[in-house]
Amino acid sequence: MIWNYFLITASISTTSWGVAAFIHKKEGFRNSLVIAGILSIALFIAFLWIQLERPPLRTLGETRLWYAFFLPIIGFITYWRWRYHWMLYYSLALSLIFLLINYLHPENFSKTLMPALQSPWFVPHVVVYIFAYAFLAASSLVAIRGLYQFYKNKLTPKLMLMADNLVYLGFAFLTLGLLFGALWAKEAWGHYWTWDPKETWAFITWMGYLVYIHFRYQHVSKSKAALWILALAFVILLVCWFGINYLPSAQFSIHTYSKAP
Amino acid sequence: MNKPLWESPWAYMESFLISFGLVLIGFLLEFSIPNHPEVKIVYPLNLILGLCFVALVILLYFLLRKIRIIRFLSGIPASIGAVVAFAALVILMGISPQVPMQGKNIITTLKLNDLTSSWSFLLINLYVLLVLGLVILQKLERFKRRNWGFICSHLGLWITIFTVGLGAGDLQRLRMDLHVNKTEWKAYDGEGKYYEMPLAIHLNHFQIDEFHPKLAVVENSSGKLYEASKPSMIMIEKKLQCKLHQWNVEVSEFYASSGRSGDRYYQMFDYGAAPAAFVKVTTSSSDTLSGWISCGSFNHQHESLKLNRDFSLLMTVPEPRKFSSEVTIFTPDGSKVNQTLEVNKSYSVNGWKIYQLSYDEKMGKYSELSIVELVKDPWQIYVYIGVFLMMIGSVYMFWQGSKLRQKATSMVLSEDL
Repeated sequence: MIWNYFLITASISTTSWGVAAFIHKKEGFRNSLVIAGILSIALFIAFLWIQLERPPLRTLGETRLWYAFFLPIIGFITYWRWRYHWMLYYSLALSLIFLLINYLHPENFSKTLMPALQSPWFVPHVVVYIFAYAFLAASSLVAIRGLYQFYKNKLTPKLMLMADNLVYLGFAFLTLGLLFGALWAKEAWGHYWTWDPKETWAFITWMGYLVYIHFRYQHVSKSKAALWILALAFVILLVCWFGINYLPSAQFSIHTYSKAP
Repeated sequence: MNKPLWESPWAYMESFLISFGLVLIGFLLEFSIPNHPEVKIVYPLNLILGLCFVALVILLYFLLRKIRIIRFLSGIPASIGAVVAFAALVILMGISPQVPMQGKNIITTLKLNDLTSSWSFLLINLYVLLVLGLVILQKLERFKRRNWGFICSHLGLWITIFTVGLGAGDLQRLRMDLHVNKTEWKAYDGEGKYYEMPLAIHLNHFQIDEFHPKLAVVENSSGKLYEASKPSMIMIEKKLQCKLHQWNVEVSEFYASSGRSGDRYYQMFDYGAAPAAFVKVTTSSSDTLSGWISCGSFNHQHESLKLNRDFSLLMTVPEPRKFSSEVTIFTPDGSKVNQTLEVNKSYSVNGWKIYQLSYDEKMGKYSELSIVELVKDPWQIYVYIGVFLMMIGSVYMFWQGSKLRQKATSMVLSEDL
């Protein structure tokens, strides 16, 4: 059963990352364990794709799985580039939280994929978005760390640069995801944008990060305000991803594909 | 930093007052001019107004740039104010459902249920276009080669907002009901008004491919899906053995298309034939139940298997995998094309794009009606130019990251510390 393979995957990732955290002095060995945990999720995604005979990108649980896959990759690259160990562990922990959510909220693994989603745009649109979300989650971790450092009077320029880089990368993907969605919608239904609740919140998220980028551009020295904007932007992103299902406007959304009849 | 309001140089306070002031003016206009008719600005009026707006922005920039207001409008505080006010309006849109409502109350008066056609939305869009336009002009005038990414993303956004807004009046979206073996040349809009089209469509065949139906357990009293454990629905296959909640289910026979005769189902392909399966269910107390289940169709009864007093096992209605219309399209010049229309696969003819939209869902795969949508959007190409410029801007951003700012940040922050 697919579910049992998920449990195996989640245990491999949890164990290898747990061990990695304990032996963090032996960098080479630690890094291989981190990569092993990432690979186990990658294998499960591939297995799911083959089993379901469709890209596993339709339901919230499936997107969480991709997120749990991308986040450690971004954490690892950031650590590699900036030599921040905490960034690696934060992203691993966040990834495990997402696996845990999937464990606590099992979903029906279903082969059905509605005709609207059967498009070459489907995979790039969602993957680019999840990738952006993972970058931006990493940037919000930096924001929280930065605020902590700020109030302790220990904020370093390196940290702000890291936040900027993550936001720039994440924002580039976010914009591409948004534009892919618009082009797909035009090709499939004849309108770019319908102000569907999901689209509306995606747009708000986009504007949140837009404010951060412009604010930073002008006021390089006002780190505190910038970090607060960054932390707040991620709250909006979470509303867009999950919170939307609880808003009064969401009952009219076309983007709720998880409620299969 | 504590300078009196409205004293030069203007900064964030003034910026927010202006942008939110525009939103407020919009709501006041809504309040004072109730029930204004929906105005559609169509070609060539939209083009003329658009060109006037562009001329205005350019004139403002080149003639009045010495004036402080214009300098303020092309700066970052004004940009952020515009984005935040726009975002606030969109958040309002994201919370309050955007659906038509009856009656007169505060929501309908302020158009909170239809914000995209409200005054506030129009004013804030114009303001964004003005600020963004001035910013672009400034960058263009002082053009440096490393700014090309900046210009792509900003100009792309400007073109996109501008052309989508202007093109809205010229966009036509109509529906056409196609019946098997009939030719249709009239399409209707959202209000049910019919239009004669410069094309006619003959529906030769309508086809639906379906996924297999699923097994599910429902509560007898409410008819609700029982979801005590997951998976709560399992797709039926031949010889499937699975565990659904506390029941072990075995599918010993399955026909995707069948009919009942006597005490069992046989494979049949007649009109209205429905899927059916023979299932054996064992419970923990090792009782075995068995029987036929079928989801039925518009002219066949559905049949479920009662598991106990509280629950029944049933077959869900199959979901469509794909639906498509084989059509022949005629145009007034006498040409004739055979084409298959499908969701996500549209076809363009005579300036109209034809999209497969829907069918008679009650009839399911026996539907003889196919609903298509016809869209004419003469501004599409210009919107695409804007979108592609923004894409180039994003790729540039991805490539460059915030490298340009590294030096500055390091310097300023180390001074701060």
